[in-house]
Amino acid sequence: MHSLGQRVPDEDQKIGSLAIEDSQLAAAVLAKDRKATAEFVARYADSVYGYIHARLAPRYDQVDDLVQEVFLSAWENLGRYRGAGPLEAWVMGIARHKIEDYYRARLRAPESIDDPDQIPVAPVTTSDIHDFLEQSERRKKTWEVLAQVSDQYRFALIWRYWDKASAREMAQKTGKTEKAIERLLARAREEFRGRWNHGQ
Amino acid sequence: MASEHDERFMEKIAAVELAELEPAPPYLKARVYSALLVQQTETGHLESLTRCHSRGHELCVFEQLVRISPIGETAKSLNICRVCHARVLAEHMDQPPIFWPGCPYVEFKKS
Repeated sequence: MHSLGQRVPDEDQKIGSLAIEDSQLAAAVLAKDRKATAEFVARYADSVYGYIHARLAPRYDQVDDLVQEVFLSAWENLGRYRGAGPLEAWVMGIARHKIEDYYRARLRAPESIDDPDQIPVAPVTTSDIHDFLEQSERRKKTWEVLAQVSDQYRFALIWRYWDKASAREMAQKTGKTEKAIERLLARAREEFRGRWNHGQ
Repeated sequence: MASEHDERFMEKIAAVELAELEPAPPYLKARVYSALLVQQTETGHLESLTRCHSRGHELCVFEQLVRISPIGETAKSLNICRVCHARVLAEHMDQPPIFWPGCPYVEFKKS
């Protein structure tokens, strides 16, 4: 497999040309090498897209814009990449910041008042979900339930439990108090669990 | 107590990653690439096609024509994809009818 846009090398040219090192790729993109820029997109678009797609679902309308923002931001800041770690991790760091910005904006907005009739009362069940749901089924159900809760609850839950942000960190980034975030999370968890059990 | 129970419940749920890796659609890769080239040209020309070729990159048929033309390096540094129909098709279709080698937009639909 040769890199995107790279001529298929002769055997004696293969060493060093098959895999462009991250720092070399970054330098070539900074030099405005159009083929290296295409390689940059081809290498990381799937990871960035997969991450953002999962974090924004089911609100897919913003996914394309955010993916593009990540790459434009990466280009603007590429001069700061020192090659200390993998370029992919560096790009994914930008993607995480973009998602945090998105969550922050959504969580800062006043919380919508849900119709209490539409929220099922959370029955207290202690059934162990791992016993009867396979991983893919659980993922599917998780998405179904996340899609039913409000945007604020969904973003708060994903930010806290999948992206492992602490309540304090979320509070700092949204300008809310830690208590307010904990209350928001408590309501979000309760609604999530209620809907999860309701759908069994 | 209920909150602690919910907390543990959520931690169990979150043990499963939210999504299997979903590949980026080819049209999006094409758009991102186009946007990057536009952004790069805002602060000056792209690297010339002569240099690009000497780095070992495969050029598309149109880029080759420009590269071998008796014109200055500045002209060979323009973003010629901007006026190419391959770009327009690739930005709007996941399987655009473009096939020639050396074109990033063709490569995106394969990746």
